[in-house]
Amino acid sequence: MSVFNLLTLPLQLAVMDVVVAILIVTGIAIVMGALILIVFHFFSVQGDTREEEIVELLPGVNCGGCGYSGCQAYAAALASEKDTDLSRCTAGGQETANSLAHYFGHAAAKFVPKMAIVHCQGSQDQVRVKYQYTGSMDCRTATELFGGPGSCAYGCLGYGDCYRACKYDAITIDNGLAHIHPEKCIACGACVKACPRHLIQIEPKYSDLYTVRCMNPEPGASVRQSCNIGCIGCGLCVKNCPSEAIHMEEKRAVIDVDKCTHCNRCYEVCPTKAIVKGL
Amino acid sequence: MQNLAMILFSVILVDNLVLSQFLGICSFIGLTKNLKSSMGMSLAVTFVMVVSAAITWPIYFYILAPLGLQYLDNLVFILVIASTVQIIEAIIHKTAPALYDSMGIFLPLITTNCAILGIMFVNIESSYNFVEALVNGLGAGLGYMLAMFLFTGVRQKIEDANPPKFLQGLPITLIAAGLVSMSFFGFKGLIENLFG
Repeated sequence: MSVFNLLTLPLQLAVMDVVVAILIVTGIAIVMGALILIVFHFFSVQGDTREEEIVELLPGVNCGGCGYSGCQAYAAALASEKDTDLSRCTAGGQETANSLAHYFGHAAAKFVPKMAIVHCQGSQDQVRVKYQYTGSMDCRTATELFGGPGSCAYGCLGYGDCYRACKYDAITIDNGLAHIHPEKCIACGACVKACPRHLIQIEPKYSDLYTVRCMNPEPGASVRQSCNIGCIGCGLCVKNCPSEAIHMEEKRAVIDVDKCTHCNRCYEVCPTKAIVKGL
Repeated sequence: MQNLAMILFSVILVDNLVLSQFLGICSFIGLTKNLKSSMGMSLAVTFVMVVSAAITWPIYFYILAPLGLQYLDNLVFILVIASTVQIIEAIIHKTAPALYDSMGIFLPLITTNCAILGIMFVNIESSYNFVEALVNGLGAGLGYMLAMFLFTGVRQKIEDANPPKFLQGLPITLIAAGLVSMSFFGFKGLIENLFG
């Protein structure tokens, strides 16, 4: 045996080992791969491709205005037909409702644009100051301290929790009162959740929307003491409404938007101007 | 029979996968926030553990060992476990959609779970026979379930306890995990006394 052969003998063995190892691993990989292919062929489940297609139709801002956690969740609900309301998307509006209706082959869904409304008019000119508040400048903290520094324990505090929650710059705080700008609001509902006093509600974006802008349920005398422009619970609007769209909740009038015929009667009779016409 | 019972009890209580061998810690911390996800994960782990044990044991003793390729076990086991989980997932998806939904994301998650791979190595190193390997896999899964169940309860207690700020979140969770782990040391002499 030559020197050359002696030197390469261990090398040849090692090469053989490596080749066997590679072959074994490759073999197992191919067998498993083939198994997966076979199993997938027999057990394939027709995935629901509609969900992805519906996501494409939605605006993709994930605002949560539809009531779901985001566009994907709404698309999943529509695709699985758990939800058949095609006009839930507040950000996309009529356009999205139309394209969804087109996708599902329905007639174009009627979309009612909505926006958030602050149910309080108690700006600094209308309410008294109960005490000098020097704590953390946010509504949630302020409301914990004797019902806030303003005289009304139900009204807007004006420290801007809703302003900070709004991602679309639709809210401004003016004179201690939150204002929502209809042209920017997409009714995502972030401010509704942020307001510790639940003053903000989502309402239809009608130019002649009638709303009672007061959430104070106390009797008139007590409301009068704390605010010039609150609902005193006199019930004049309830008596004068021809379509029975207004009812009292405790000592506070509430207008049912669906029944309202926009006749302007309640606006005319309200003695404190707590009922507001428009947005 | 006594042998199998011994393996089962020791792997559940004494050599608990999470609390004594410290395997699968990431899912232990990550998925014990609520009972639903922790039980879903435990179910999936137990299931995959038994199936993987049934597959890796023959591969090791009938393919790798005769060829002297034991050093390849790491690579081959990962390959086999990952593809087995894929196959199982497809089959469950087709035949039992309800079970598939309840396991959900956890099934693909455990393809690379160290707990599964760890138990496969324990099977090899302890030179268990096939049935023993299966029982060990089942026991390890049940032990994992027990640990997850206990720790979910502990974590819900922690949420209510309002710990000091510097301990909130992960630190207090890890301390609690350590305490639960220590409590399992109480089982150390159990097997000797039961089966000794």
